[in-house]
Order: sequence, then structure tokens, then C-alpha cells
Amino acid sequence: MAEDDEKGYRWETEYEKSWEELTEDAAGLLQASVDEIALKAKRRKLLDKLGNIRLGMMRHLYIIIDMSAAMEDQDLKPTRLHSTLKLLENFIEEYFDQNPISQLGIITTRNKRAEKVTELGGNPRRHISAVKALVTRSCQGEPSLQNSLELALQTLRHMPSHASREILILFASLTTCDPGNIKETVKLLKENNISCSIIGLAAEVRICKKLCHDTNGRYGVILDETHYKDLLAQHITPPPATVSTESSLIRMGFPHHQLGSDKNGHEKPSMCMCHLDSKSTQGFSSTGYFCPQCKSKYCELPIECKACGLTLVSAPHLARSYHHLFPLEAFHEMPVAQLDPSVSRVCHSCQAQLPESNVYVCGKCQHIFCIDCDLFVHETLHTCPGCASSRATQMSHMSL
Amino acid sequence: MSDRKKASLLVVVIDTNPVWWGQRLVDQPDKSLTQFLDSIMVFTNSHLMMNHRNKLAVIAAHTNQSCFLYPRAESREAAGGGEPGGAAGAHDGKYELFAQVNEQVMEEVKNLILTSLEGHSETDSLLAGALAMSLCYIHRCEKESFTGEDLSSRILIIKGSEDNPAQYMNFMNAVFTAQKQNVTIDACILDNDSGLLQQACDITGGVYLKIPQPSGLLQYLLWVFLPDPTLRLKLTLPPKAQVDYRAACFCHRNLIDIGYVCSVCLSIFCSFSPICSTCQTTFKFMGLPKIAKKKQKKLNP
Repeated sequence: MAEDDEKGYRWETEYEKSWEELTEDAAGLLQASVDEIALKAKRRKLLDKLGNIRLGMMRHLYIIIDMSAAMEDQDLKPTRLHSTLKLLENFIEEYFDQNPISQLGIITTRNKRAEKVTELGGNPRRHISAVKALVTRSCQGEPSLQNSLELALQTLRHMPSHASREILILFASLTTCDPGNIKETVKLLKENNISCSIIGLAAEVRICKKLCHDTNGRYGVILDETHYKDLLAQHITPPPATVSTESSLIRMGFPHHQLGSDKNGHEKPSMCMCHLDSKSTQGFSSTGYFCPQCKSKYCELPIECKACGLTLVSAPHLARSYHHLFPLEAFHEMPVAQLDPSVSRVCHSCQAQLPESNVYVCGKCQHIFCIDCDLFVHETLHTCPGCASSRATQMSHMSL
Repeated sequence: MSDRKKASLLVVVIDTNPVWWGQRLVDQPDKSLTQFLDSIMVFTNSHLMMNHRNKLAVIAAHTNQSCFLYPRAESREAAGGGEPGGAAGAHDGKYELFAQVNEQVMEEVKNLILTSLEGHSETDSLLAGALAMSLCYIHRCEKESFTGEDLSSRILIIKGSEDNPAQYMNFMNAVFTAQKQNVTIDACILDNDSGLLQQACDITGGVYLKIPQPSGLLQYLLWVFLPDPTLRLKLTLPPKAQVDYRAACFCHRNLIDIGYVCSVCLSIFCSFSPICSTCQTTFKFMGLPKIAKKKQKKLNP
């Protein structure tokens, strides 16, 4: 197996004196230097991001949750299951925030069986309530990697070829109970262009590593809960598209939001298509989004029209994804001493006095920023305040 | 007792587009920028008066730059000497903070207009930059606020000039950030209806109001925009306008109901074309049988 890309195990590397990086500040506290290390680490992560690669923007992701007895372990507090489900709720919200036109589904595996909890769908609330309901379920027996992969495969193989097909497994057990040869399944996954990633909660397992390696996924084993969160967060941003992902033009509808009253001012309330089978009065109102093709009514977007199959989105949904496609370039780090003395020592965007250490300069507009703004701009805002407030640079990151 | 700890940060973004204000002066000579600024300053002073913890920032969105009017950068403050303090003393009996705010805003607007007299002026303002700056400032204030203090922030945009379509992406990024940070964006429109701001207010849960009577600006500001978003539920505010969420196609800039979206770069087109003009991808026609292109990756054994 090709393992030359691996950098070896931690215990095989040089002895690190990690405590020597910590220095006390004037008050004898370590907090300042700990904060600095944390900020530096965040910055490094941002620098690692590659630009100009094709991304799989329309994602179809199945999350497989291990519900075997191993999930009851208490190394994560209160139990692995509780901790996982809590993190998962956040993950689902973030996922749909960052990938508004993508879909997600949940599968659990226990007692050597796999069970679909939610079908692939684009409604975060449905998934979150399903995840919440899982807390009460008991964890039993052994998981089955093969059964759950097969179950996910059954749906994912029929997804359109321009979409990115992914499986993410949260695996607590060190064993798996499979009915057949799992290598066949791995081959099948690979043929169907499905990438599998695993987050292990216990220790590295060879079959998991092989599965991730063969299907171009990522394999990580958690150290603690914060690391768990980081590993999950890596799956929020869209992955690079695989070579065999096709591209196509997808027909989409951009419905109007109508307030319901017609020309004469009469309100005609009606049931929306998304709540048709619910017993409550929810969804019965006069406002809603109307499919431009078949005029069915929906109370929220994005959704696939149940009557005519058209994908309904609104312009901001697409705009939400643009920052993945046009990422903001990293700012240059520069010591304060090198700055032109005539330039005012103030962060351009937040007006804070610049610290004595390093400042960050945007390569395009040459404005200077403090480290807090640098991180905020790159992690959340995705727009350089300096570039956006100048005619010459406002459009620059559109020129792809 | 708990509401004592509440503080509110208001960032006012003022559109100071010289073209629009100049045109306005020709049409209605009695309503100049100075009068509007007076109204805005009364409004900002009232905001500071509501609670002594309340904070304020004023940002100008000009035609070729956006800059802070208040608070002024600290280093320049120091360079200017005790001048603002001295001047505040002259206004006998006036609350020093108000005097300081008003003077700084006036002075900076004067500076801004004098420095940008030359060169080509556009008819739209750089609103996205001003929004991005206000979000960074809010981010900083929230970081600096004491633990236990509840700082709620909002942005009020007072705008007269046209929308700037070139800033769409920057603007939307700022709006999504505001939504994430729980910052409400309110818009007070003086003249041209703005599709972008309608979306921004709808997404962040703010009030969008095109004021019918520009001379009554102060009234609208005090009645509609002064109360905190938490209080607004109890008020009868102007009804929400219908927001147009339709997309404009990248090829003709037409608003469309049904369009085609490129799966690679999410560009929107009004008709099917075999090559995406943004990312140069060639598309396969829909309905053709799937021919999976296989590219074997060679692995070293």
C-alpha cells in the first residue's frame, strides 16, 4: 500500500520542547502567549487553503453514525454518543449555512445492521430534530461498516453526476462485523466516485485508513473534544471536485415571495407543499414562495419542487457559496518597524491602535490591519474592507 | 436588574455621495447635506442618551472611499492635541460627549469632501466597504466588552444614491456575516429604492424604510430606528415591503424566474449555452446517457 505520503507517527519524530515557546508576560501570566500561539495556528490554517481549484459545490453527503456499544464509552463527556450528537447539531447548521444548495442524510449502524434515519434532503431542521431524537436510543452490539456503506451507496449512486458524493463516518468501534468482503464495497465506492471520510473516536484502524485512502477521503482520529470539533469543521467547506465529476447546467427556479393578497386585496390562505402531511396548522397561510413552473407553494427555500422536480432557490443562496469560489487572498505579515512612519498606526477597519508586534497588509489595497481583523476578515467576512472601499480594487476578485 | 448591563452599539453609515447630494441641492435648495447631518446628529445624540453604556460609530460611504467619521482614530486624536476638549468647553452646559461627536463628524465630513473634490465622481457609493468596516468595528467592540455585559449591535444605513452592482458579492458577504454575528441592518432610504438593501434588511431582520418626506428625516429616525430591535416587536412599524429575491442572469442582467446554473461556478444564465462564460467549462447536454470518464490514478505499489 502506498504510504510514502504519510509522515510517520508522532512518537517516531524528534523530541519537541513545546513548553519553551511559552513566555510569561509582565504580569507573570501565560495567557498572552497562549493566545498568540492559538492565533498563529489559526492563521497558518488559513494560509494552507489552496486557491483556484475546482470545488464540488453541490454536495450530497451521508453521515454514518456508529451506534454500537463502543459509543457508550465515557472518555468524551458525558458519553461519546452525547458529545457526538451535540457536535453534529452544530455541524448540520454550519453545513447548510456554507453549502446552501447541498443535501445531507443520516444513517446509523448498530447490532451489525445499518438503518437510515433521514433521507438525503436540504432541510436542516428535519435533520437536527432527527439527531436530537437519537439521544434516547440505546447503543448496542457491533457496527457494520459494510452494511452502512452499502446503504449509503444505494442512494448516492443515483445522484446526478455533477454533484459531489460523499460519506462521512463517525466511528467509535475498533471492530466491524461485515457480511462479505469489504474490499469489494470499497472498490464499488471508488467506481461510483464516492469519497469516504472517517473520524475515529478511539484509535487508528487499518481498514478505515485504507477505505479513506482509496476513495480520496480524509481519515482522522480525535485527541479530545476540541480536536473532534476541528476535524468535523474540516468537512464543512466544500471539497475539491474529483476528476470524474461532470459539469452541467442545472435548471433552477427563482420563486417570488408573495404576500398572498391578490389584486382586490383578498387573502386566500392555502396549504404549502412542505407541510402537506403534517397534522398541525403549520404551513397554512397566505404567504409563501410559488414555483415559477407549476405554482406549487412552499414556505421555505431552498427546496426541490415536489410537483415538477425543479430546484427552487433564491439569489442569496447562491451568493452564500461564492466566497468558496472566490477566496480572499491572505494578507502579508509585516513587522511594525518596517512600516512607513508617516502611515498612521491604526487598523484600517476597526480603528484599533496597532500592537508593537506584527501587522497584516492586504496585497491589493495596501491597507494595514490588526491580527483580530485579519482573522475575522478571512474566516467570516471573506471581503477585504480596504478593497471594498476603493473603486480600483472592489471588483478584483471577480476577475477569475 | 439584568437589563442594566445591556448596552447597544449603533453604527450609522451615511451615504455622502457628492453627485447625489449635488443634484439634490439643485432640485431642492433648502434641503442640503448640512441639514440632514444635523438631523442625524440629533438622532445619534438621542441614541447615546438612551443608556450611558450605549456606543456609537459613524462611517461615511463616499464615492471613492469609506472612512470613519466617529470615533476618530486614536493616534490622530493625540496628534490633534486637546483641541476637541477645549472647544467642548465653549459650549457651556452641553454634554461633552455630544459636543465631541458633533464636532468630529462635522469636521471629518468637511475633510472628506475637501479631499475628494478632484477626480471623477461616480453616482453610487462604496457601501460594501463601509459595511465591512462597521462589522470589523462591531467585532472589535464585542471582543473588548466586559464579560457579563450584553452588547447588542446594529447598523443603520442612510442612503440616497443608486445601488452599485459591482459590489454585489462584497455586499452579500457582509450581509451574511451580519446575519451570523446577530447584527441587524436597518436601511433608511432617501431617494432610490435599493434592491440590495431590501434583501439585506430582510435577511438580518431589520427595517427597510423609504421615507416619503425627506424633510421629516429626524421624525422617521427617532420613531422607527431609535428603538432597539428587541423593542420593535411591541411597536407598530411600517409594513414590510415585498422583497424581490429573483436572480439576475450573468449574461444580460435580466431578472429571471427560471434559469440555468453552472454546477462548477454557480453562474446564472437565462438560456442554455454549451460553454460557461465565467469558468469556461463545457457542459454535456442533459438527457445524454452517462459516460463516466475514467482516469486511473496510478499508485506505486
